[in-house]
Amino acid sequence: MKIPVEEALRYMRVPKSDEATRRLAEETAAMLEKQLHPRFLWRAFPVRQDGEGILLEGAGLRLPGNLAAKMLSDCDTVVLLVCTLGAGFDRMLKEWEARDMARAAVMDFCGSAWAESVCDEAEAEIRSRFPGKYCTDRFSPGYGDLPLSLQADFLRVLDAGRKLGITANESFLLLPCKSVTAIVGLSDRPQGAKIRGCAYCAMREECAYRKDGKFCGD
Amino acid sequence: MEIKLPMLLDGAMGTMLQKAGMKPGTIPETLNITDPEMVEAIHRAYIRAGSRAVYANTFGANSLKLKKTEYTTAELIEAGVRIAKDCAAETGALVGLDVGSLGVMLQPLGTLPFEEAVDLYKEIMTAGAKAGADLIAIETMSDLAETRAALIAAKEATDLPVFVTMSFDATGRTFTGCTPASMARTLEGLGADAVGVNCSLGPEEMVPIVREIRANTRLPVIAKPNAGLPDPVTGAYGVSAEDFAEAMKALAAAGAEILGGCCGTDPAYIAALGNAMKEMAFNPSKPGVSGFTGAVCTGPKCLTTDRIRVIGERINPTGKKRLQQALLEDDTDYLVEMAIRQADAGADLLDINVGYPGVDEVTMLPRVVQAVQAAVDLPLQIDTTNPETLEAALRVYQGKAAVNSVNGKEESLRTVLPLVKKYGAAVVGLTLDENGIPDTAEKRVAIARRILERAVAAGIPKEDVWIDCLTLTVSAQQEQAMETLKAVRAVREELGLNTVLGVSNISFGLPNRLLVTQAFLTCALEAGLTLPIINPNQKEIMDVIAARRVLCGEDEGCRAYVERFAEEVQAEKKPAAAASGMTLGEAIRKGLRNESGKLTRDALHTRSEMELVEKELIPALEETGEKYEQGKVFLPQLLSAAQAAQAAFEEIRGSLLKKGEQSADRGTVIMATVQGDIHDIGKNIVITVLENYGYRVRDLGKDVPPETIVKETVEKKIRLVGLSALMTTTLPAMAETVRRLKELPDPPQVMVGGAVVTADYAKSIGADFYARDVRDAVKITGQVFGSNG
Repeated sequence: MKIPVEEALRYMRVPKSDEATRRLAEETAAMLEKQLHPRFLWRAFPVRQDGEGILLEGAGLRLPGNLAAKMLSDCDTVVLLVCTLGAGFDRMLKEWEARDMARAAVMDFCGSAWAESVCDEAEAEIRSRFPGKYCTDRFSPGYGDLPLSLQADFLRVLDAGRKLGITANESFLLLPCKSVTAIVGLSDRPQGAKIRGCAYCAMREECAYRKDGKFCGD
Repeated sequence: MEIKLPMLLDGAMGTMLQKAGMKPGTIPETLNITDPEMVEAIHRAYIRAGSRAVYANTFGANSLKLKKTEYTTAELIEAGVRIAKDCAAETGALVGLDVGSLGVMLQPLGTLPFEEAVDLYKEIMTAGAKAGADLIAIETMSDLAETRAALIAAKEATDLPVFVTMSFDATGRTFTGCTPASMARTLEGLGADAVGVNCSLGPEEMVPIVREIRANTRLPVIAKPNAGLPDPVTGAYGVSAEDFAEAMKALAAAGAEILGGCCGTDPAYIAALGNAMKEMAFNPSKPGVSGFTGAVCTGPKCLTTDRIRVIGERINPTGKKRLQQALLEDDTDYLVEMAIRQADAGADLLDINVGYPGVDEVTMLPRVVQAVQAAVDLPLQIDTTNPETLEAALRVYQGKAAVNSVNGKEESLRTVLPLVKKYGAAVVGLTLDENGIPDTAEKRVAIARRILERAVAAGIPKEDVWIDCLTLTVSAQQEQAMETLKAVRAVREELGLNTVLGVSNISFGLPNRLLVTQAFLTCALEAGLTLPIINPNQKEIMDVIAARRVLCGEDEGCRAYVERFAEEVQAEKKPAAAASGMTLGEAIRKGLRNESGKLTRDALHTRSEMELVEKELIPALEETGEKYEQGKVFLPQLLSAAQAAQAAFEEIRGSLLKKGEQSADRGTVIMATVQGDIHDIGKNIVITVLENYGYRVRDLGKDVPPETIVKETVEKKIRLVGLSALMTTTLPAMAETVRRLKELPDPPQVMVGGAVVTADYAKSIGADFYARDVRDAVKITGQVFGSNG
């Protein structure tokens, strides 16, 4: 699996003209790709809506709040997805923090970009397993009013501790650090509800792009 | 209890509970009390299918996972074991206390301290033994640290036999990077009764893993594969009972003797497996009691001792002022850097010695071991004369360590060997005793023989005993050089043991030391030295090793040798980076670490330390910082410049230390990532840069409770505290920390930052400053300590 270096540079807010950083990022990406094996895992569940929100009976899990209700209103199936670069990333990052902080910083961004692209890959696999279905935008605990506290349930339902070695701490932070949980809804009709854009972003108050008057999709 | 081989275990519990109608979201162990019939039916089915041991429904019963239930760990375990025992009585099958992961990560990857994990596991083990389990089955582990904690707990809390299996994936590693070889070596050393693999893979994919485990242990090997992989849509597993049983034959041939099933298997799989086992050829070529190749390891790296292995000697404060200072200041980062440098220079193992007046070795050595292990995957040689320190370090060491050292004195043999045995380490035996170092080779060999006998009597396998025949300084005791070499040869040839020598000692007090050291090393390698303790950063010494590896055939096809010198030829062709005329400031701005260090060394002949800092370092950093603000350079360049400045600072510090002066103290800052938060690279970036402005930084790490921060602030009379938080869920911990700091009679100033922190939020919780980025942090620090920068 390849690391989208362009994306990592964008996260770093480094312009395309900065050759030195690009080289460093490419080297770092190659190093990561050689040593790590990202993994993902997903399961599909039939979904039921009742007065209190979205219910995944097969998972014993309820997705509370407006965001999930809106995103999944039209869906008969919901996929829970989790991906991770593994603890090897945390270890390499520690090593490079001690050896060369400049590279460590770049590595951190490469890791974030990679984790997202692994989710894209998982999503592509999901789409191929459900031909004829339409997917919602991917969203995660912590977006909008979908509580971050769902992380623990997410891991339990997918048995992600046992299957991928992912754990959540008491503040619902995932370990290994480059791990992502996400939800994709499946419907027979094209999905209009979008969560991309600042209005839906939990980071909108703190976002470095917005602080600069920019947009992360630029 | 005798483990009769081959042995048929049971299959999945979770899969069966789901089939039996367990509601999604149920904590399976609670069924031991709420629906014991459901659990009982599963055990009975497995026993009727032929299982000679069943694992009780206790996999997830630990006090972390059960926090939200109304049951205690002991209750659920007692009930679970009792149900299994009632069922097993039917055929006399054994009952295993099933023990899984606690579900959180241990330090250093996570935040759970090792001893807390041991205590949590002891609670489980004690309850299981009390309930009458026949054996303990620790399974589905992926972190070697946690696996060790569980096994140590089992051994300390009970007398039961312990089976341990970890889960490996198709890459042949566990999720945390542990290899099958490392697992086998570490767990056999700690006293497991059988080791192996379960879950994650189907039987076919498990074959290479079982083979590797078989080659690295004398213990029986366990294999409990899944019934293939589950389908993400239907949840069904891909391998049928018949195919499963058929595929298990390959695992028996690879050396597994204790067989069962994991996720997706049911009694039909176990019955089929039982039938297949009647035809299986259990002919595992187990390593013999003698002639087993020794090894030391960390989770990711298993290093056999059947060839030359270089032990890096640098982490030893004797005669190293800068290291002494780092130890006194608790600066483990400096030691980690030393470890990484030696690893990069080609060391295979690293000796770790932190003994120095004023350093509390008992707490320091385990801390250093953990810090080094977080960043470097080389096996470590724990170097101390204090048994209490030794045990503290061995306990937290993840893997199979080496111990430096035991010697022929009764006191040493009596205190050190039992610890070596308990923690499954290798040990260096020094050939000296109550009468000192003998002056003949024969007498030294006699001591070596005595150490070996005592070690074997203590239960330490022969291959784990290494002998150091002791290098004496040739300028002081000239005739001893040849006696040492003679002794090395005899230990190698007569006792068949690996040999260790601290080589550099030979040339002390002589001019051109390097030449004498090289010559002695060459002789010693020829005499049979296998584990030289040397300075790997000295290129000429490592050149001797490289050449020796060619001559003795270890470096097949001379590949490593050619590569080593090919790099050098290339480097020579490149124009020297420190082209004449480059100033220190330029080197820093360009982020050239080596040049910056070298230019500082040169400049110190003519200019004062203060002048270099004021006129070169700070202005260069400032300029880079300003360009960063203007968007002309970016974070990587800013950090490269900081690191180049750090190299310069190291030279300046060293120069001051030589004169017996302290480097200028511009002020000390505490930095911490708040409680509950585990992402700390942002904080570490700020530290890297602050240190290069000449500030001292006390890095309290990540997930730091408010009380620790308050305590440090008071004790060290700190004027500025920096806090970081990444997630909205950890902001309350930041607020709480600020609140407590501000309640102090003489409160420090507080700056806060991190992904989710805003200026408004900083204000609302009473922080004095909001640091938007690393530049802001530098400016704020300058403001607080009243200097520019």
